Amino acid sequence: MILTGNEIIKQVNEGKIIIKPFNDKQITTNTYDLTLGDKYLTYNEDILDPAKPNSYEIKSIPKEGLQLKQGDFILAHSNEIIGSKYFVPIIHAKSSVARLGLFIHVTADLIDIGSIGNITFQLYATLPVKIYPNMLIGQVSFWVPKGKIELYNGKYQGSLGPRASEVHKDFKEKLKI
Amino acid sequence: MKQIKKGNIIIEPFYLEQVNPNSYNYRINDQLIMFDIKNNKKHKKTIKIPKEGIILEPHKTYLASTFETLGSIKYAMSLIGRSSLGRLGLFLQVSANLGHTGSIHKWTLELVATKKIKIYPFMIIGQISFWENKGNISSYLEGYSKFNLPQVSKMEEIQ
Repeated sequence: MILTGNEIIKQVNEGKIIIKPFNDKQITTNTYDLTLGDKYLTYNEDILDPAKPNSYEIKSIPKEGLQLKQGDFILAHSNEIIGSKYFVPIIHAKSSVARLGLFIHVTADLIDIGSIGNITFQLYATLPVKIYPNMLIGQVSFWVPKGKIELYNGKYQGSLGPRASEVHKDFKEKLKI
Repeated sequence: MKQIKKGNIIIEPFYLEQVNPNSYNYRINDQLIMFDIKNNKKHKKTIKIPKEGIILEPHKTYLASTFETLGSIKYAMSLIGRSSLGRLGLFLQVSANLGHTGSIHKWTLELVATKKIKIYPFMIIGQISFWENKGNISSYLEGYSKFNLPQVSKMEEIQ
């Protein structure tokens, strides 16, 4: 079951959903709109390798905007701290942003229950597009889970700013056949 | 986990350490289908992913499959990539991530890299979540659900 915008407001007031800062104006029928923070991350590697740490740098998106070229991939983040111990957040692009050919996440839209922090956006431009700090870029919906809740306690907990992949940390888990 | 015991969810083989708060981490099998494009025509090539890994070229589509047999007769499913690989720019499933209730098999995975990335056989690549249905269930028994190897689209014939 998905929460309505009115229910999101109610659950924020009761402390069961965390959205900071929270502004009523960003509520939609079934989501809360997310704004773009001013930091972004690019990898310095020619070939990304999940078995090793990949080197990266963090830069600022200037007020005048950052021009993305077709095919560019960067990590960015929401200004908002988002999370819930009671509902499962799923992130989506604003359709207006998607209509510009900009992906805001690559494949992983499901946020674990109990994960609380800035959302890391995975921006992928299929067309040249300019992005600005604080622009409305994404939205988050909240879903009611079924079954006993086990809260997230993973490596990206409490993220602030864009967080690079840490897949190498658990890459060694060997397959037992 | 409870629904696996009841037989409502099939995950084979199943390992407790691959369970997440709202999903199960699945692995990629070792077969990969790639396409060479010549004169705007696709030519299909199937390879085995070597132990040392293989580099996926950006903006190309590859097909693989899950190592596990996954499915449910009771729930609908969503197959997505791991956030750790999304953060490396790897798309898993190109826009069709919904798994129909009743399909139980090794799922075909569509991979598109935005940057050059290495993948290894049997690495954890994605996660599957299960969604309760509202309404009567008529199981999905047609289509691609009988396949356990990566399946190309049936919408067109490929040479």
